[in-house]
Amino acid sequence: MGKCNKQIQQICDYVDGELESALCAELEAQLKECNNCRLMVDSLKQTVVLCREGKPEPLPKELEAKLNNALRRRWEKKFGKKQG
Amino acid sequence: MDERKLIRLAQGGDFDAFNTLIAGHKDKIYRLALKLTGNREDADDIVQETFLKAIDNIDKFRMEASFGTWLYTIALNSVRAHAGKEKRMSLKPIEEYLPSDHSSDAAELFEWGDPHQIFENKQLQELIERALAEMPIKYSTPFVLRYMEEMSVNEVAEMLKLTVAATKSRILRARLALREKLEDVFRERVHG
Repeated sequence: MGKCNKQIQQICDYVDGELESALCAELEAQLKECNNCRLMVDSLKQTVVLCREGKPEPLPKELEAKLNNALRRRWEKKFGKKQG
Repeated sequence: MDERKLIRLAQGGDFDAFNTLIAGHKDKIYRLALKLTGNREDADDIVQETFLKAIDNIDKFRMEASFGTWLYTIALNSVRAHAGKEKRMSLKPIEEYLPSDHSSDAAELFEWGDPHQIFENKQLQELIERALAEMPIKYSTPFVLRYMEEMSVNEVAEMLKLTVAATKSRILRARLALREKLEDVFRERVHG
């Protein structure tokens, strides 16, 4: 693997499925020849996969209640209390 | 009811319309703040600041962007204000994250295999959370927006007011830094 920013950007684009097909063939040929390139592609792919695996954490219920109260107070300060 | 109509109602003082507008964004803003700060207290503050600022400025919202994009922009400003108080590790130039040359015999990089065989899921998520929280937010923000919030590079560039080239470069640097951090930990665990 060359120490070239353009090439590593191409590798990332390839991993993300965004590299134009002519360059894909060139890169795939290189992957067969270069262990480091192959390991780089695999680990860059896995880095994003692992990041996406995290379970989305919702806003905690107690914070939501606190937030709703704060928002109502600020709203009433700005627009006045709702009548009725 | 469509978003524009809700915004007009909220701008006229309708709190229910405002609540409908923000309902789908509370969890998203919290998640974003948590990923970028790695700290629940800061994430709590950022969520509160974001929606309070949205109330303060709702009458200035001109519908040039979507309401969600506007909220994200407010939230990211708040993240920046919080992160400004901390010292974070700096990232290396891109070329320093790359192995030295082509070599089919002696790979310098560690073969990850399946990281779930090395660490449990929870540990992996903690590693990622910590690594992102240690990274300067100018790099972690575009990375998180791109790969964890699933925005396109163009959308990230627009939101952060960067060129597409600068956005791609920051995303790449964050990805390489995170990759290296994980690799170091995996290697250490496997080889001791």
